[in-house]
Amino acid sequence: MISSLVSSATQQAISRLGEAVSTTVASTATSAPAGSESFGAVLGKMVGGVEQSLGNAEALSLRALSGGDVDTRQVVDAVMSAQQSLQTAIAIRDKIVQAYLDVSRMAI
Amino acid sequence: MEGIHLFDLAERQARWLSVRQQTVASNIANANTPGFKASDVVPFADTLQKTQLTMVATNPSHLTDTPAGVATVELRRDQVQTESYSGNTVSLEQELVKAGDVNRDYSLNTSIVRAFHQMLLAALKE
Amino acid sequence: MTDPLISALKVAASGLSAQSTRLRVVAENMANAQSTGNTPGADPYTRKTITFSSTLDRPSGADLVRVSDIGTDDAPYTIEFDPSHPAADTNGYVKLPNVNMMVEMADMREANRSYEADLQVVKQARELITMTIDLLKGN
Repeated sequence: MISSLVSSATQQAISRLGEAVSTTVASTATSAPAGSESFGAVLGKMVGGVEQSLGNAEALSLRALSGGDVDTRQVVDAVMSAQQSLQTAIAIRDKIVQAYLDVSRMAI
Repeated sequence: MEGIHLFDLAERQARWLSVRQQTVASNIANANTPGFKASDVVPFADTLQKTQLTMVATNPSHLTDTPAGVATVELRRDQVQTESYSGNTVSLEQELVKAGDVNRDYSLNTSIVRAFHQMLLAALKE
Repeated sequence: MTDPLISALKVAASGLSAQSTRLRVVAENMANAQSTGNTPGADPYTRKTITFSSTLDRPSGADLVRVSDIGTDDAPYTIEFDPSHPAADTNGYVKLPNVNMMVEMADMREANRSYEADLQVVKQARELITMTIDLLKGN
């Protein structure tokens, strides 16, 4: 449900910027040290987590609303987790948009 | 927002719960009415699968439809805990337990709705 | 159609009203448990009875309760031998009210229990309404 909103708003912004940064880094620096990942990949993972988190929260909530046998604490934990993931994704999106605007205003 | 299954289901459950609350209220108010038969709402799952009209039509003597669209039915023999000399089948303990269930379910319902509603608003905010 | 939560309040209120009337009748019986007549052979206080019945509230489909009758108990009076009593008949017997304190006490306890249960319903229905309205708060 909400993932469709998050996807369009956030995913595009994140993947585009991730690409831009990765190509810049790849052309100038040496290969990334073992164990660390590219900027785009890390951001991509964070956003991917949101969709899964939301889906899980939604599924458990639907079970609870149908009167199903689901532990209340589980539902509450799942929803809180989704709220946290979403807030993080939104904060990142906002920061990226801000950074992009800052960069585009920089005199070259 | 229309078309979102979660909110739709939540609204249906909320309506079912409030009809249950009303039924419990009637049972408790009539705890001392001679011959009064306690009733309860049909299970929530039943209200999702078939239309209420069909159910009432096929079981005219057992189900009573309410204006809210959720049918109620008298307690079955195995559900009745006490029966008075006059035939009154209301058990105050049973009804108060049901009332507690309604309260808990309704509380979870509104909490879930609020959480997802706020997430939606946050995602939509610039 | 009435909101079921609102009609739950209405139903519970009818219960409170009915039980209050019942408690009043019980109190009257208890207060007059020893009230005899004044003239020889006169009847004493007669125990009052109360009957409830359910009525359908059409807009909601809920069953309200109401007092359908306040009548008298036709159980026989208690007879006591007391020739000096103003209400003693020619044989010296006095008719005492057909009120049994144990019965009245039990009735009172049951009425109180029902009253408390109705009160619980009122409290809870109000809570549910508040929960609904609070969905709009804190956004």
